[in-house]
Amino acid sequence: MAEVTPRFGRALLRLFAVQGSYNYERMLGLGVGCAEEPLLRGLPADGETSPYRAAVARGAHFFNAHPYLAGLAVGAAARAEHDGAPPELIERLRAALCGPLGSIGDRLIWAGWLPLLSGLTLAAISLGAGWTAVVGFLVVYNIGHVALRWWALSEGWKHGVRVASALHHPILQRGAALAGPAMACAVGAALPLTAQYLAAPLGAWARVVLSAAAVAGFLAIRWLPGRLTGLRLALGFAGAALVVGWVWL
Amino acid sequence: MTVESFLALLGWGTLVGIDLVSLPQMMIARPIVAGTVAGAILGDFETGLKLGVVFELLQYDILPVGAVRYPEYGPATVAAVATAHAAVGALGLGLGAVVGLVTGLVGGITMHLMRRINSRIVNGASVALESGDPQVLLRLHVGGILRDGARAALVTALGLALAWTVPPHIIGVLTPRGEMLLAVAAIAAALAAGAAGTLRLVGRGPNLAWFAAGLGGGIVAATWLR
Repeated sequence: MAEVTPRFGRALLRLFAVQGSYNYERMLGLGVGCAEEPLLRGLPADGETSPYRAAVARGAHFFNAHPYLAGLAVGAAARAEHDGAPPELIERLRAALCGPLGSIGDRLIWAGWLPLLSGLTLAAISLGAGWTAVVGFLVVYNIGHVALRWWALSEGWKHGVRVASALHHPILQRGAALAGPAMACAVGAALPLTAQYLAAPLGAWARVVLSAAAVAGFLAIRWLPGRLTGLRLALGFAGAALVVGWVWL
Repeated sequence: MTVESFLALLGWGTLVGIDLVSLPQMMIARPIVAGTVAGAILGDFETGLKLGVVFELLQYDILPVGAVRYPEYGPATVAAVATAHAAVGALGLGLGAVVGLVTGLVGGITMHLMRRINSRIVNGASVALESGDPQVLLRLHVGGILRDGARAALVTALGLALAWTVPPHIIGVLTPRGEMLLAVAAIAAALAAGAAGTLRLVGRGPNLAWFAAGLGGGIVAATWLR
């Protein structure tokens, strides 16, 4: 195994900005290239067509995946460059990683870890925890966040072109399997508690209107998926309330 | 709102806007965090928490996968809290939500525009990028982050301008019932979006039973604690 270089830390820091130049042309490509560049500095760099420059150019090609797991591709591609893997193989490796890293990351983080902690935070605030719940959310979330970024980069570097084996790691497989039910349970519990918290200062008639409007809004979003978003519903409700409140009440 | 508060909120909203996508995605862009800190800046934790909860529920409607377009609720929550602080009570929550929703809508549009601008810049620099010059790569990438910072600052400034100018025009126009109705509308939409977004994530598989169990537990706890 290649020794982890001192620039490993710099690559990790740059990974935190992997989406900094997000665009529809190369998606995360530039960010991935920037994060990979410190790991490529050991390659021969003499001349305009050096292996270092060719690797930097390859690193900035199109790439799209979950940002927290992009380090897996960064580490694997950099390691493959050092191991002298053919350029076509490295391009294929990057392309092959996009789908799985996006899918696993979305399930693990956007549909698991993040809403799970958000739901617990909402429930805690509703039960009177106040700002300490928010601090707890930030600390716990980012322990998982930073650990996952570090793990992804180090696993990618460790495995190189055989990085597919890292995708079967229990952190990803069991994590995604556990995060789903935990998220569902936490947010399910948070919803009625949050409703009670927000409705606390309302009078009896307002609570009745709130219940009816929330149910109607929920059904409308379910019946018109894609067309009626939460934002449109909220703007519509607010507009109607302003008109009714101004003209009638 | 004092000039010091305005500048602090502008700075906070900018950080929040950058955190959403560019750097470092540590979730200060989540409304519950953005709102609480905005409330702390204004010395009004309760308003910050309340609007943070409202926009956090609205955020459940969004799954930020791929290049999907969505409203930006971080700076929106900062603007919402500033508005609510200026117009206390039920009107504050409702009016804050309206200003926040408009700011979030504008934020989402600016993100899409910025990605198109980034695409054009990257496309124009493709020859230089293919040469493998690391300085070109770094310059383009840092340029993207700076553009996002400027975008986030503009969106926050717009939201704060609305927070400054809108309340005086609304206070006194609505009756107390009308003010309450506006707050009810915001809360109802947030609860509906939160529930619908969560069910979309949960799906019809085994997680649905876990959601039902959580919901039941939450209802029991809410009833018991009433």
